[in-house]
This record gives sequence, structure tokens and C-alpha cells, in this order.
Amino acid sequence: MSRRLRMWVLATGGFGVAVLLVAAYVRLPRFGGGPHPYGERAVAAALSRHTANVISSVNFDLRAFDTLGEESILFGAVLGTVVLLRQTRDEREVPPAPARIAPAVRRYARIMLPLALLCGLYVIAHGQLSPGGGFQGGVVVATALHLLYIGADYRALEHIRPVGRYEVGDAVGEAAYVVVGVAGLLGGSAFLANVLPLGTFNTLASGGTVPLLNAAVGMEVACAVVVLLARFLDQAVEIEQGPTRKEGKQS
Amino acid sequence: MTGWLVAASVLLAAGFGPTVWGVATGPLERRVVAQNFGTSVVCLVMLLLAQAYARPSYVDLALVLAVLGPAGTLVYARLLAEDLTDDPPHARVLTAVAASAAVVVVAAMCLATGAGRATVKLLLIGGLLVAGNVIASRALAGGFPKGAAASRD
Amino acid sequence: MTDVLTLISLLLVAASATAAVAARDPSRQALVLAVLGLALAVLFTVLQAPDVGLSQLAVGSALTPLLILLSVRKVRRRGRREDGGR
Repeated sequence: MSRRLRMWVLATGGFGVAVLLVAAYVRLPRFGGGPHPYGERAVAAALSRHTANVISSVNFDLRAFDTLGEESILFGAVLGTVVLLRQTRDEREVPPAPARIAPAVRRYARIMLPLALLCGLYVIAHGQLSPGGGFQGGVVVATALHLLYIGADYRALEHIRPVGRYEVGDAVGEAAYVVVGVAGLLGGSAFLANVLPLGTFNTLASGGTVPLLNAAVGMEVACAVVVLLARFLDQAVEIEQGPTRKEGKQS
Repeated sequence: MTGWLVAASVLLAAGFGPTVWGVATGPLERRVVAQNFGTSVVCLVMLLLAQAYARPSYVDLALVLAVLGPAGTLVYARLLAEDLTDDPPHARVLTAVAASAAVVVVAAMCLATGAGRATVKLLLIGGLLVAGNVIASRALAGGFPKGAAASRD
Repeated sequence: MTDVLTLISLLLVAASATAAVAARDPSRQALVLAVLGLALAVLFTVLQAPDVGLSQLAVGSALTPLLILLSVRKVRRRGRREDGGR
């Protein structure tokens, strides 16, 4: 294809997209006001299932199947990263030198690590009540663990982070979501149906399966982020190009 | 409720506007300081917004930011340590401004909410924010001395 | 008043996003990206979407910078090794 023809194809495609976008924008409801047909129905459905945070109800109950897809995307992405960033045959592992860190920063990291962990678990546990949930809380938990790398050094982090166990945790979180879904299929009407007792509105145990699915996603996300960062850290801190010195060190 | 909304808008425009400018231009030293300051400003804006919209649960955003924001700045301080050692940025005035703004906002919100669990949460957020901001600017000003970047090559 | 707040946050998002695109050095870009994340979180909250804002804060404030800077360090180290080898 000549350059001229390619530009024509590009222009035609661009024009088509522009026309479609304009047509879609013209039909959009007015910004920030007026009736919300989907919103009203979602709120009514969430309230009927005793879930105070409507967003959580949409994510983990009304459209829980979509969230299974999103969770699987993260799972697959992390799996791909693990494969891409593995230690290859022509790379070797060099233990990093211990870092020199100001005592104040070290102390801050040591105090903040449990606090941040607690904050992450709080966000996961309150997903059905207030903004937050498994994804947000899981990321906070994973970041909390890495305060140890920032405030101490890589060896300290490796001490509390057996990557193998987190890989298992990642898979268990993903599987737990499917198991809850199958339980809905067996005990109720459909895959991921909300079959558990709904509890009292605006309490920790409300929402039926929503807190369970939140916990599953929280576990999956936290473990996935830890595994992801482990690969990045290995590559950035430990692995160097060059012949392997020790045999059987490949993983 | 409009007073809180005005306060949030003013803080956002007057505090975060210069932050965007500071982080987008100039030497690396100024950019990291601007990032650290921006974290504090946005955390306070979140608190004010929670009060303005009368949604106590929005305070969780400020909580997460007070925990993770300083951690983010420490990431920069640690991994950019090599680039920052020549002329470590000292931002005592800016840190003091952020800390006093945090004290004012948290105090005002505590007065508005009255005693209770919400107040404890607000005080916790304020404490975490001020401590995190001070430690993060300390870390930027040489908290990771030479060799800390684990540069073995 | 809400409109003013929406306008301010939209402008801040536009400004920081433009700055993030304009920055050439990846480590500086990571800094601008963190501030863009903060601006986006405010915008989401102003538009009454705190869940999305929380996701943005959780991912944008520490995780993304860490991933970017680790990648930058790896690339730099490799470059330095190759320079030293020649």
C-alpha cells in the first residue's frame, strides 16, 4: 500500500470514529443532573440486598461476573509478567548491598508497616459499607509490605515475602471467587447468585456474598501485586546480565 | 455546607495549582518537593470534601492517601537518591506550611464533628499526614545517603 | 459552587496530563504522573465517584512510581554495564 492510500484509509477511519463519537455525545444525558435510569435501578437493587455501598453491590453482586473477568485479567497479566521477567540462562543473581538509611526513615517504615496493613484490611472489610473494597484494599496491603524495602533493604523484604506462597495465595484468591460463584449455582439459581443471608443493613456482615467476594478479590490483588513487584525488584536489584555461576539457580 | 466547599476549592486552586507547576518544570529537586507537598494538599482537600458533601465515609480516601502518599515520596527519595545527593532539597518552610494547614483543617473538622469515633479517625489521619510529610521531606533532604541506592556498579 | 470545583479539578487534570505527556525523562515523568493521579482522584471525588478515586489513589501514589522507577533503574544499570564493557 502506498503512503497516500494509507493516509486515506487513516482519514476515513478517523472520520468514521469522529462521526460516531459526535452522534453518541449528542444522545448523552445532560452532565451532572436529570434522571439516571440505570442509577435508580442499581440503587434500588443494592438497597434490597442490604448493601450500603451501591458500587460494591454493582461490582460484586449485580454484575459479579464482570468482576470475575477483571480479576482474571489481573491474574493473567501477572502470570505473563512472571514468565517475561524470569531469570534467564544468561543472567545471574547478585545479592544487593545493604542500604544506608536515616534512622528516622527506618523507624517510620517500621511503625507504618503494621498501620498500613491494618488500613488495607479495613478498606477490604468495609467494601460493602464505604468506598473501597477488595481491589483498593489489596493494593494498600501489598504496598504496605514494600515499606520494608523502602525503609530497610531488599533482604529484609525477602525475609517476609516467600514469593511461592504469594503465588499460591494469588491462585487461591482467584479460585475462591469461582467457588463462591459455584456455591451460588448449587444453592440458588445462578452462577454468582447472592444466596447468603443478607444481614442487617449497614453492618459488617451485611450484603450476603459481597464481603466474601471482596475478601477473595482482596487476597488475589494483594498477592498478585506482591508477586508482580517481586519480579520487578528481582530484575532491578538482583539480576545481572552475565554467565550463571551457580548451577540449578534458575527458577 | 458551602463554607467547606469554598475552603476545598481555594485550597485546591491555591495549593495544588502551584504543585502542578512545580512538578512539571524545573530541576528534579524541586519536582520531588512539589510531589510531596501535593500529597498533603490533596489529603486535606479530601477531608474538606467529605465535610462539604456530608459524607463521613469519604474520609477513607484521606486515610489511604495519608498512609500511601508519604510512602510514594519515600519511593522517589530511595530510588532517585543518586540523582538527589548532589543538592538534596531542603523544604523546611513548605513542610511547615503543609503541617500547619493540616493542623488547622483537622482541628476545624474535629470541632464540626464533635467528640466521637469520627474525631479519633480525623486525629489519626492528621497525625499520619503530618508525620509522613515531615519524614518524607527529611528523606528527600538526605535520608538515603550515598550508597543507599544499592548501586553496586 | 460545585461547578467551580469541578472546573478547577478538570483544569488541574488537563494541566498535569499535558505536563505528563510533555516530560521526556522517565523519572521526572513518574513524578508528574503521581501528581496527575492526585488530580484525577480529586476529580473523581468531586464527581461523586469515591470508589474510583480510592482505586486511583491506591495504585497511583506508591505502586505506579515504584514500578516505573524500578524499570528505569534496570534499564540504566544495563546501559551502564554495556558502556563499561566497551
